[in-house]
Parts: sequence; structure tokens; C-alpha cells
Amino acid sequence: MICDQCGERPASVIVKQKVQGQMTERHLCHVCAAENHNLNFVFEQDPLAIHQLLSNWFPKQQTSMSPVKKEVAVCPSCGFTFTKFLELGKFGCATCYDAFDSQLENIFKRLHNGNFEHAGKIPASYGSTLKIRKEIEELRKQMQVSIEDENFEEAAKFRDEIKELNLQLEGGASDGN
Amino acid sequence: MAIERFLQPRASSWMANDGENVDIAMSTRIRLARNLSDFQFPYSFSEDEALKVDKEVSSALLDKGHELNHSFTHINIQETPKLQREVLVEKHLISPYLAKGTHSGSVLLSENEELSVMVNEEDHLRIQSLQSGFHLQEAYQVANQLDSLLEKNLSYAFHEKFGYLTSCPTNTGTGMRASVMLHLPALTMSHQIARIIPAISRLGMVVRGIYGEGSEALGNVYQISNQMTLGKSEYDILQDLQNMTEQIIQQERLAREAILNNSPIVLEDRIYRSLGTLTHSRLLTTEEAATCLSDVRLGIDLKMIAHMDMSILNELMIFMQPAFLQQYAGKPLQPKERDFARAKLFRERLNKENATNEGEEFA
Repeated sequence: MICDQCGERPASVIVKQKVQGQMTERHLCHVCAAENHNLNFVFEQDPLAIHQLLSNWFPKQQTSMSPVKKEVAVCPSCGFTFTKFLELGKFGCATCYDAFDSQLENIFKRLHNGNFEHAGKIPASYGSTLKIRKEIEELRKQMQVSIEDENFEEAAKFRDEIKELNLQLEGGASDGN
Repeated sequence: MAIERFLQPRASSWMANDGENVDIAMSTRIRLARNLSDFQFPYSFSEDEALKVDKEVSSALLDKGHELNHSFTHINIQETPKLQREVLVEKHLISPYLAKGTHSGSVLLSENEELSVMVNEEDHLRIQSLQSGFHLQEAYQVANQLDSLLEKNLSYAFHEKFGYLTSCPTNTGTGMRASVMLHLPALTMSHQIARIIPAISRLGMVVRGIYGEGSEALGNVYQISNQMTLGKSEYDILQDLQNMTEQIIQQERLAREAILNNSPIVLEDRIYRSLGTLTHSRLLTTEEAATCLSDVRLGIDLKMIAHMDMSILNELMIFMQPAFLQQYAGKPLQPKERDFARAKLFRERLNKENATNEGEEFA
């Protein structure tokens, strides 16, 4: 069959178009098809959607579990399985991140040029909590050293400071500061 | 009704067209994706939870928004008629995904339309800041202030290692997508754009047509944005995007010069034909209008066309779209009728600006 448009080259593309309710069918060669600006390619979905990329990168390993090893990761909060996450390309809730933690490093590395750890903004509330927790950790170590040195007066001082920080942590969590 | 002001064919301030490099970098957008820690994400939450999230976010912003010197209008998406939703999409104020109204959701819009929060899109919150011209840092500052205000009043889903937790793993970390809208006619005409796009993607950035993923570049307008959200701070991401955009602008300028030197008459002819089409035709398809707008825009930049205000072209880019034309006409229009209405809109708007008023107001 010869191209409907140029009448020269062999037709290789069938173009079906709905114009005002009327379905038309045209046979075009690849050149005319590419030039035809009225072509309306409607993709049902993005050909490179995230879930398709994920499924290709992590094929079958989770979907076809052997009957012996039935350890499919399931999020206890929303019920998403790791398989569902791969199929959909989306998390169901914040807890999914912990439920699928062991697999995520690989996924993030592929999506973010080898990166898998956050290096940006930290919410103010979280930032101060994080700081206090780190401080407590540090004081605990120092207290341990004091106890080992039998310097109980100093150890008691550290204990009180830790107590104080723990109180701050509880208070901070409740009023969001 | 509160939504009416946003549906008017009135230019948002981000279409104003000011600032350096605005001839090429038309506008800047920052988007931050956030979720509340106590609710499941929109892919798995119930309608009841969706309502609660909407209420929680909306009341936080309506109560505290004044601290940012903005007053916000709350628009419930499901209660908004389809055509009006489409107008908001065409104005880039909400995403096509939110417009679908799959579950309870809303948008909170600042009066100047530069700042907005979509509730229950793919994530519980999508904070958006839009600015005219090339202003990545400024647009981020505004979005960041709003984000900091909200995080004081809401409990965000945040993870020590992964950062801000989002529905899609491509947004995890900063949750930030920064993008600049670029008019690149010379790089397109000289086919250099096909070489630039793959080079950019190798550096963790992406170029696409203006209407988001999978769309072609209508009227030679492209959007460049960061792809990576993990491993780099907001500051570094913005800096990289800034550098890349500056280089593309530079390349576009060189390409314009080359075309101007090699075939000035051909270029001038093309620009004036397009001007003729926009000011005199009786039927204009979206595609033809977009192509001609691009040429006329280039004509103004190259000082071939004088006495025409670029901001009108920015407005027309938005108002020539199907939902806007119908909203404006006050009735549904078939595609052919839209082409007629579009041509009329262009004639009236552009000829009026040329001080030779030949018709009535488009209505």
C-alpha cells in the first residue's frame, strides 16, 4: 500500500483519528507520519512511568516468592507489600519507609544518582530533638567514664543533666517546639 | 464566590515579565512535597482521613497565613465545577492530578497567585511558589517560609536518613522540585535542543515540554528542573540548576545571533508572518497560536517588533487555552468554535495594544 499523503513511499503506519465523532483511518509512510502535526498521540500512561522503571530494575525477585521462603515485606501500618510498592511505584504511608528499609538504599541509589541519604532541610522541631538526643548520648558516655573512674560526684552531675534534657525532649514533643 | 477572582482573565503576577534574562527564562517555580506523620499517604488513605488532612492543613494555613503577609483563599476541588478546575490547571495554579478530584482535596491560593498549597494531591501537601522571570533563590525563600510556618503547626513525616517522606520515591529527601520555564526558539530551530536534553539528564536534571511529563514543547517553551532530591541540599540543588540554566540561556543567545547573522531576512519574514497570523486570522488552533506566539516573542526580543508589550503575550499564552476560552465565553465551545474565539481574542488584544482598536472586547 502507498502512503495516502505523499503517494510515493510505501505506507507503514496506520493512523486512526476521531474528528468530531467521525473515525478516519489513514495509511501513511514513516516520513509523512512524523511530519503530520495533527497526529494526536494519546498515551494511556507515561511510557517511562516510575513503577515501570522500578519493576524493570527489580524484576520478579519479590513477585515470585518461593513457597518455602514466604517473607514478603509488609507495611504494618497501611498493608502495602514491597511488591505492591514496586508495581505502583508509590509508598502507602510513612511506615513503609521502615518496613522496606533494607531494599530502599538500592532503589534510591538508582533514582538519585547514587545517593540515598537526605542532606537538606530538617524541620525545626525535629532538628532540636535530634540535637538533644545526640547530647544525651554524649553525656551518657561521659557519665559511664565518671562511674568507671569512681568519680560519683561528677557522674551525678551528668545524670541530672541527662534528666533535664529528657524532660525537655518530652516537653518539646508535646508542644511541637 | 471566593474562587471567582482566580478565574478572571487577569494576569497573575508571575506572568508579569520582569527581571534579568526574562526574555528567555519566563518564570520560575518551586514545589515542596510534604506529608503529615499521622495519616496514610493519599494512595492508601480513606475518604475520612482525606477530609481530616484537608481540614488540618487548611485551618493551619488560614489561621497562620497572615504571618507571611498573605491572605489565602480555600477552594474545595470536589465542589468546584470541572471547567473551573481546568481554568486553574491552565493557569498553573493546580495540577491536572488534583483537578481529577479522586478524593477530598483543596487548594489554598494567595491573593497574588504566587503562592499556593495543594492538599491531597499525590502527597498531603504540595507547596508551590511561582515567580516571573529567573528567580530560583527568591522563589525558594517564599516556599521555605511557608513550609517553616506550617511545620510549626503540623507534624510532618520526616526520617533521619531519608528526609521528608513522600508518596513517590523520586521526591524523597528534600521533596523539592525547582523548575525554570525557558523560551528556546533558536536552539529548537537549529536542532541543538536535541543534543542538549540528553546532556542535561546526565547531570541529574531534566528538560520537558511546559505541560509537564510526557508533553511536547508547545511554542518552543521548555521546563528544566532538578531530578535528584536525595544527597544534595536545597541550596546545592538550586545552585546547580542556576548554573545549568545560565548556560542554556547563553547557548540560546549564541544560537539567536547565529540565525540573525546567517539568515536575517528569512527570520524577519517568519516573525512578521506570525505577527500577521495572530493579528488577522479568523481561525487559530492552539498549536498555531503557540508557534506564532513564540515567533512574535522572538521578534520583540530581537527588537524587530517594537511597541508590543511582552506581558500581553504571556497572558495570551494562558488565556488562549480551551477551558479559559469557554469560561470567558460563558458557554461550552466546540473545537472549531474555540479556534474562532481564539483568533478573535488575539486580534482584539493585540490590535488594541497597537492602538488601532478594530473590535469589541472579547466576551
